[in-house]
Amino acid sequence: MYDLRERDFTKETLVAIDAGRESVAGRWPNLVSVGILGSLIPEEYGGAGGSLTDTAVIYEELGRGPVPGPHLSSGVLAALVLLEGGTSEQQRALLPEIASGERTFALAVTEEDYGWGPEFIRCPARVTGADFAVSGTKLYVHDATEATDLIVAARLENGSVGLLLVDVRTGGVAIRALPGFATSLCEVSLSGLRVPRSALVGGGAEDGWAVLERVLLKAQLVLSAYQVGGLSEVFDLSLAYSQTRRQFGQAIGRFQRVQDHVIDIVNHLDAARWTTYEALWKVDTGQQDAVAAMHTAAVVASEAYYYGCNSAHDVHAGLGIVREYGLTLHTKLSRTLYHYLGSPRYHRKQLAQALGL
Amino acid sequence: MDFDLEWTAEQRAFQAEVRAWLEQHVPEISDHADPADLTAEEYSHQRKLGRELGEKGWLYPAMPVEYGGGGLDLGMAMIIEEELDRYHLATPPYYDTGGRLGSASIMVWGTDEQKEFFLPKIFKGAVRTWQLLSEPESGSDLASVSTAAYRDGDEYVISGTKIFVGSNHGAEYSWMIVKTDPEGNRHENLSWFMVPMDSPGITVEPMDLLLVGGERGAASGVKNTVYFDSVRLPAFNLVGGENNGWQVASTHLEIEHGLLRSAVRSDEMLDLVLDYARETTRGGRPLTEDLDVQNALVEFYIQSQVTRLLHFRNFAYRAQGRQLTYEGPQAYLHQKRSALVKAKAVLEVMGPRALVSDPEWAVAGGHVEVHQRASIVEQHPGGTAEIQRVIIARRLAIGRDQREEPGQLPSTVQEGQ
Repeated sequence: MYDLRERDFTKETLVAIDAGRESVAGRWPNLVSVGILGSLIPEEYGGAGGSLTDTAVIYEELGRGPVPGPHLSSGVLAALVLLEGGTSEQQRALLPEIASGERTFALAVTEEDYGWGPEFIRCPARVTGADFAVSGTKLYVHDATEATDLIVAARLENGSVGLLLVDVRTGGVAIRALPGFATSLCEVSLSGLRVPRSALVGGGAEDGWAVLERVLLKAQLVLSAYQVGGLSEVFDLSLAYSQTRRQFGQAIGRFQRVQDHVIDIVNHLDAARWTTYEALWKVDTGQQDAVAAMHTAAVVASEAYYYGCNSAHDVHAGLGIVREYGLTLHTKLSRTLYHYLGSPRYHRKQLAQALGL
Repeated sequence: MDFDLEWTAEQRAFQAEVRAWLEQHVPEISDHADPADLTAEEYSHQRKLGRELGEKGWLYPAMPVEYGGGGLDLGMAMIIEEELDRYHLATPPYYDTGGRLGSASIMVWGTDEQKEFFLPKIFKGAVRTWQLLSEPESGSDLASVSTAAYRDGDEYVISGTKIFVGSNHGAEYSWMIVKTDPEGNRHENLSWFMVPMDSPGITVEPMDLLLVGGERGAASGVKNTVYFDSVRLPAFNLVGGENNGWQVASTHLEIEHGLLRSAVRSDEMLDLVLDYARETTRGGRPLTEDLDVQNALVEFYIQSQVTRLLHFRNFAYRAQGRQLTYEGPQAYLHQKRSALVKAKAVLEVMGPRALVSDPEWAVAGGHVEVHQRASIVEQHPGGTAEIQRVIIARRLAIGRDQREEPGQLPSTVQEGQ
C-alpha cells in the first residue's frame, strides 16, 4: 500500500515545501498516481466513482500531513463543478483529464471585496464576437500557481454568475502566489482575456452560483474531513508532547492546566469528526436535512481546527513555533481554510436559513 | 458508518408489539415542568407500569433472563427505549439510579446468592433503589467518605450522613458506599451495601435545592439528606467483599460518568425555542429577523447536535463491542457545558419570560423556566465538569506513560443499557 506520509510527504518534506526549499509539483505525480484525483469522478470518465464518504476518508489522511497541493481544488471542486453543472461535452472532455492529472484546475471565485456569495462576484465577462472578454482580479484563489486551468466565476451581462473554463496559458492571465501566513493563496489577474463562449460551464443553462451551491454541499464536507485529519494530527502531537516534555521534574501533562489544553483539542476534534461523519452520511444517502448537517459540520470543523491549533500552541509553547517541528503547518492551514468555501459566520447564516429562521 | 437505525422486519414487528402494549398500559401522568410536583398517585402509577414492564422483561430489557431481565439484544432494548420516549418515559419509568448502577455492580461483583436475591427484585420492578455516595465532607473526593460500618456478628452497623440522595416518594433499597476500615489505607477501606430502607435508625429529610431534575420520566424531583444512626443490616448485604469498595466503585462510576444517557433522547427544548422564535414578534418585527436571535438559536442547534452525536458515538461503539475509554466523560462534559450555552441562548431569545413560572406568563407551562434552573443544577451530579476532565486526562494518558483502564462493566451494559 502506498503510504504517502512515509514516502512522499514526510514531515521533513512538508516543512521543506513550506519553507520554499521544495515544491509540491515535484511530489505531485506520485500523489496523482494513486488515483486520489478521480475519487469522486464516475468510472465512465476515468475516475473511481467513489461516494463522498470514500473521498472524505482519503482527505482525512491527507489532512494529517497536512499534504498541500491542488488536489481539493481540482479533484473535488472542479470535478464537482463539471459533474453538477457541465455540459456532457465538457464532462467528457475534462473529467478524464482531471482524474488522470493531465489538467489541474483551480477555482477562482472571490475578489478584493471579499465574501462568499454571489453578490461578491463582480469580475465582468462581456460577449465579444464568439468570445467572452474578461477583465478583473480574482483574489485569495487557492492553488492557482499549481494549476493548468482555472474555473473563473464572472458576472455575465445578463446579471447572472458564469463559470468560465480558462487555460492559464491563454494571454491575459497572470498568477502570483501571495506570501504571508497562509497556504497556497494566489492573486489571479485577468486583463484582456478572451475565452470562447463554449468555455461557459453548462453553456449558461443555469446561474453559476446555483451550481456552486450544489458543489459546496459536497465539497465542504471533504474540506471538513481534511480539517478533521489535520486536527487529529495536532492532537497526537500534543498528547505525545504532554507525555515526553518534562518541566519542574515531571511530564508537563501532569499539570491540570496543560491537561485542559489537550482535552480542549480532543473535544474540538471529536465534535468536528462526528458532525462531519454524520453530514457525509446524510449527503450520501440523500437525507432531508443534509444541508443543515453540512453547514453544522462546516462551522464546527473550521472552528475546531482554528481553536485546536491555538490550544496545541499552549501545550508546546516555544517548540510550537519552530518551523521544523511542523505544528505551524497546521496553524497556518487552519487560518487559511477558515474562510475557504465560506467562513463559519457564513455557514451560521446559511444554517439559520435552513432552520427556517 | 451508518447513522440510521433501520429495523429488520422482526424488529419492526417487535416495535409494533411494544407500541400497542404501551398504548394499553401507560397511565395518565401529567407532564410536570418541575419533577418535584409528581404526585404520590402518579408515582404509584409509574411503579405499577414498572412492574408490568418487568413482568414482560422490558424494564431491564438487556439484562439476563435468569435474573429477571429481558435478555434482549441492543436493537430490541433500543426499540423499547424509543417507544417509551414517546411518552416522555424511560426504562425504568421512574427514578431508579441505585437499581441501574447497583445492579450492574452486583452483576460484576456480587456472589451468585446475592445476584439471585437482589437482581430479580430490581429487574422486575419490585423495588426502587436510590444511590448514596456524597456526604457533607465528601463530594468529588468520594474515597474520603466517613459514613462508617463495623461488623457485629452476622450484621453490619452503619452510622453517618449521606446527602443529595434519591427522590420523592421513598425507596425500598439504597445502594451505598461506606468506610469499613477506619485505620485502612485510602481506597482499601471502603465497601458497598444494599440497605433496606425500612431498617430502624434511618431518617430521610428533604433538602431545599434550586431544582432536582434528571432524565425525563425518571427525574428524581427531590434530593434528601439521609441519616444513619446505628442501622443494622445482614452481612449478606455487603457486595463485592469487605474493603474492596473502590474496585466496585469503578464499575458504578464507569456507568455514571457518561454512559447513563439514552441514545434516543431528543432535545425538546430545541424544537420549542425554534418554534417560539418563528412565531413571536418583537417591536412589530418577526423575532427571526434579529441577527442576535439567529446567532443564539444557531449556537443552540450546533451544541445540541454535538451532544447528541457524542452520545450516539458512544452508543454505537458499545453496540460494536468497542471498549470506551475517555468517550463517556467527554460526552457527559459536553452535555453539561453545552447546557449553559443553550440556557443563555433561550434567555437571549425569550428575554425575562424565560425566567418566570407564573401560569399567565410562563413559556410552555413552565418548562422553560425549569430549563433555566436545570442548566446550573446539571453541572455537578455524577461528577463535576472538572472531574470529567480528570478522567479524560487519565484515560488519554495525558502526561502519563499508560492509559488508565476503564472500570469493569457487565457484558450486558457493555452491549446495551
